[in-house]
Amino acid sequence: MSLIDAAEHAATAGLPDLVRAAQAGDSMAMAELLDVVAPYVGRLCGPIALDDGADAAQEALITIFTQIRQLRDPAALFGWVRVIAIREAVRVARKARRATPADLQDVPARGDPQLAADVRDVLGRLAPHHRAILVLRDLEGLDEQTVSDMLAVSTGTAKSRLHRARRRFKEEWER
Amino acid sequence: MNQNWPVADLDPLRRLRVMAAAIPGTDLAELTIDAPPEAVWQVVSNLRVEMPRLVRDFRTVTVTPGSGDRLVMHARGYLGQRARFDVVIRPGWCWMQSRFLLCGMAAVPDPSGTRFGFLGGIRAPGVTLLHPLLHLIGPAAVRLDRLETDVQQHLRQQ
Repeated sequence: MSLIDAAEHAATAGLPDLVRAAQAGDSMAMAELLDVVAPYVGRLCGPIALDDGADAAQEALITIFTQIRQLRDPAALFGWVRVIAIREAVRVARKARRATPADLQDVPARGDPQLAADVRDVLGRLAPHHRAILVLRDLEGLDEQTVSDMLAVSTGTAKSRLHRARRRFKEEWER
Repeated sequence: MNQNWPVADLDPLRRLRVMAAAIPGTDLAELTIDAPPEAVWQVVSNLRVEMPRLVRDFRTVTVTPGSGDRLVMHARGYLGQRARFDVVIRPGWCWMQSRFLLCGMAAVPDPSGTRFGFLGGIRAPGVTLLHPLLHLIGPAAVRLDRLETDVQQHLRQQ
């Protein structure tokens, strides 16, 4: 779900009421909200944490639902979820010692029938913070200022990090 | 190319772990059953039969169909206590909530067959002494060992 999709969902599907009910301790609402949020969290955590994506998504959702009462504006749900999911995905990926890029000789050749697998393999050659900025800028379509705020870095750092991540992805993709 | 980016799937048991971690007053028990998930779910999703088998103090259970994946379950205890549960149930996932009690079940494939989770809990902290049904649910009050027996019997009957 892109940012725009999320906003449309919030506007049309009674999401604020669902969030308020979950905040009030209605577990039926929590379960329903989990159905809504889990796919989005999975799409954010998958490209960053890769093989540990399910663990990262689970950890992110535990944080989200433990802290759901802290969300003041239910309409801001997906932006709030995104911050937590990205943070947890990077943390889990780093913990799994995937921060060191693998041997570049191991990158598989590109092939259309294996496109999804190739994307996964190429992402696996990048550091978690590079995967995170690619997800935020290229998958979520966020602007530089928003991304730098989310990652707690300056816009200059975000810009150079994105440049290096894209260049790295391109190099690996074209090998 | 974005549709080819890897996606992390949160299976029903992981969802149940999220609910257990996020809701105070709940406990989650897990076990592995030597049977396919479909067979396990055929047994546990028959709430009228299986809930009194599993939950120690549920004497009888009645189920009223609802819309879609929702239904209503009425449980009655041996001392005449009653609880009305709103239920969401679909393959591999079940969540139930009454005024004071919570119950959840999830089943996912496992190399040894099925990994099954059962969550029991109390909705409102501090009401333990006030409501007669509160001690009736939770892993300590559930006979999960019966589930393996019931599933194997179900498989033999097929």
